[in-house]
Amino acid sequence: MGGYGDVQLLREDGLRLDGRKIDEMRPVTIEAGILPAADGSAIVTQGLNVAIAAVYGPMEAHPRKIQRQDRAVIDVRYNMAPFSTSDRIRPGYNRRSREISKVTAEALESVVLVERFPRSKIRVEIEILAAEAGTRCAGITAASVALADAGIPMRDFIVGVASGKVEDTVVLDLDKAEDNYGQADLPVGILPNTGEIAFLQMDGDLSPDEYNLAMEYNFKAAAEIHEVMVDALKRRYEGGEN
Amino acid sequence: MSQGQSDAELRLVTPGMAIGPSAGKRIGSGAVAHDDDIIATKLGWVREFNGTVSVDPINSSYIPRSGDLIVATVAEVRNNLWFMNINGAFQGLLPMSLAPWKVEFGAARQHMGIGDVALARVQEVDECHNVVLTMKGIGLRRLNQGALLTIPVNHIDRIKGKDNSTLERLKSASDCRIIVGQNGKVWVDGDAQGIAWSRAAIEIAQRCGHKETFEAELSAHENNAPNRGEQ
Amino acid sequence: MVELVPTLLRQELARMAESDQRMDGRARFEAREITLETDCLYNAEGSAKVTMGKTIVYAGVKFEIRTPWPDRPAEGSLMCGAELRPVAHRKYEPGPPSPESIELGRVVDRGIRESGCIDMASLCIVPGEKVWGVMIDIHVLSDGGNIFDACGLAAIAALRTAIVPAERFDVGEDYTLKVKGTPIMASFTRVGGRYIYDPSEEEELGGDERIHITLGDEGHLHSLQKGLRGVFTPAEFTEIFDVAQLRCAELRKLVANQEGN
Repeated sequence: MGGYGDVQLLREDGLRLDGRKIDEMRPVTIEAGILPAADGSAIVTQGLNVAIAAVYGPMEAHPRKIQRQDRAVIDVRYNMAPFSTSDRIRPGYNRRSREISKVTAEALESVVLVERFPRSKIRVEIEILAAEAGTRCAGITAASVALADAGIPMRDFIVGVASGKVEDTVVLDLDKAEDNYGQADLPVGILPNTGEIAFLQMDGDLSPDEYNLAMEYNFKAAAEIHEVMVDALKRRYEGGEN
Repeated sequence: MSQGQSDAELRLVTPGMAIGPSAGKRIGSGAVAHDDDIIATKLGWVREFNGTVSVDPINSSYIPRSGDLIVATVAEVRNNLWFMNINGAFQGLLPMSLAPWKVEFGAARQHMGIGDVALARVQEVDECHNVVLTMKGIGLRRLNQGALLTIPVNHIDRIKGKDNSTLERLKSASDCRIIVGQNGKVWVDGDAQGIAWSRAAIEIAQRCGHKETFEAELSAHENNAPNRGEQ
Repeated sequence: MVELVPTLLRQELARMAESDQRMDGRARFEAREITLETDCLYNAEGSAKVTMGKTIVYAGVKFEIRTPWPDRPAEGSLMCGAELRPVAHRKYEPGPPSPESIELGRVVDRGIRESGCIDMASLCIVPGEKVWGVMIDIHVLSDGGNIFDACGLAAIAALRTAIVPAERFDVGEDYTLKVKGTPIMASFTRVGGRYIYDPSEEEELGGDERIHITLGDEGHLHSLQKGLRGVFTPAEFTEIFDVAQLRCAELRKLVANQEGN
């Protein structure tokens, strides 16, 4: 147990505080091509979270020391806006955002055909405008859509999803209270077409069975979000506007 | 969007999506083989031509290829060469020996300075994306006047039209010289009215050059063209 | 990253200026269409989004409780900062706040602060012990030209809709922040030799120096700033000052209408 016994996260009727079933995710909306200055962009809302991603490039990698002769590097910056949380965040990089940026970049490098662009850099800027748990996942989803929107070749998308554990029960897509007072969080980045996993973090306490169930929920959610991603890109272009 | 395919055949795919079985097919750009399937790697329209399956991307950055006619801007000048911005990931290099002038060592700047615009060709691209440009060739020159427009490279075919038909119409209606660089830079030269009209016409072509409404919109715009009386 | 300015762009802008034209067909002092939304950020106590052509800017207001400055024990504080993060344009690079970011934030800050629209004494909770610190953070998401005006508008619109979160801090009930007045910024850039209002991205690239004028409800000046290389004459200022008066009054109405919704 996480030691937060006073906070009740599941109701008598088995539903969660916001009325969701245990394997139900928050509603997700996605729109592509929302930032005119960027080469590709997307906005993802998941519950109250708002994540925006912009892609620039490929461009020559600067400074030279980050250049790779055989492939492109993906330069990700995950950043929470100062007003995105209930207590204001001081602007600038912190350890948390640096870590998330690093593992997100490495996840994206696993799907983007980076070997097509030696010595190049692809800039991915993830900006969180409202944060209510699960922003790194919303950011990964937004980055995938923005990369596709920018015309960057990829062998698959990455969908960011998370499951966790509250009151000894595995639940899909933790909200803020569940994240704060829950017992575990398992955010992953799933390739929806191949079923592979490119992003994985976890903290808390999960039994092997609980891990398997949480993963099962994550795959189910990834399939649902993937449909919304595809729909967002088709909506932008199928009307023939571009 | 590719020409010559009816709307019913067009299929929009997203990265990772299976296009169909790979057996007996060649795989073109925008797609890769995975197990027995052809997988799209870009957002775009599926095209199958002569047994080759490819994806025409909706959005794409300029990838230089040798022979491309491009409009480039001088970014840096050295004693014996110019670095040119070619609207791609990397700058192009124009050595003194491939300039259209006889250049003394150290006098490169007298011929073209930073910000100057030139019509050039891509001479060579190596595996590491080093791009060498040339200005030796008919019509290749410094562009001393006119306007410079930027369009996405996937809109180039819309501006040109079938066999350059749209481009020729724009030129004649506006009484302007228009060069569409393969790097998405468009040079338009003429009087102020002609340039303004061309700008608007290029916007129309970008917006609906691939749609059925294009002919009507362009015709309506042609009625306001500077050169209308002479047609 | 310093952007490359094609010689042809400057030539064309100069030629258009001769017949008093602009590249996008606007008149010299005509603005692009503006959309203003408020209450659009869930975790901010006041928020606004401004879209002007290809420019998109968000502003969010947050509050904190702090101890007052010793020389002003019964006054709260106001701080306004802007971030020109690399999300907004290819030309912005990662790293510590650039001089451009800092200038932008400070020019917006001065306009709001010096207009006196926030009564610092009203931000006092317990004299000498607890006062409110009001922080406006401006986030530029897409730079399509004239971000100064977009940031100024987003900041004041966010401030004017802010709710003081007293309950969350255990110091009483939430209430609407009292804001007396609507300072508005109007910016002009020299393009093709003469000043134009609300420059687009291309006009900024091929233009010269800029002047930012912030006016209060009575039409008084509260902040001025000249940026970039170039000089201007008093007569030129008189001309754009008159335009600024008209334009600021219009935008003040836009903010008021948004609040009325």
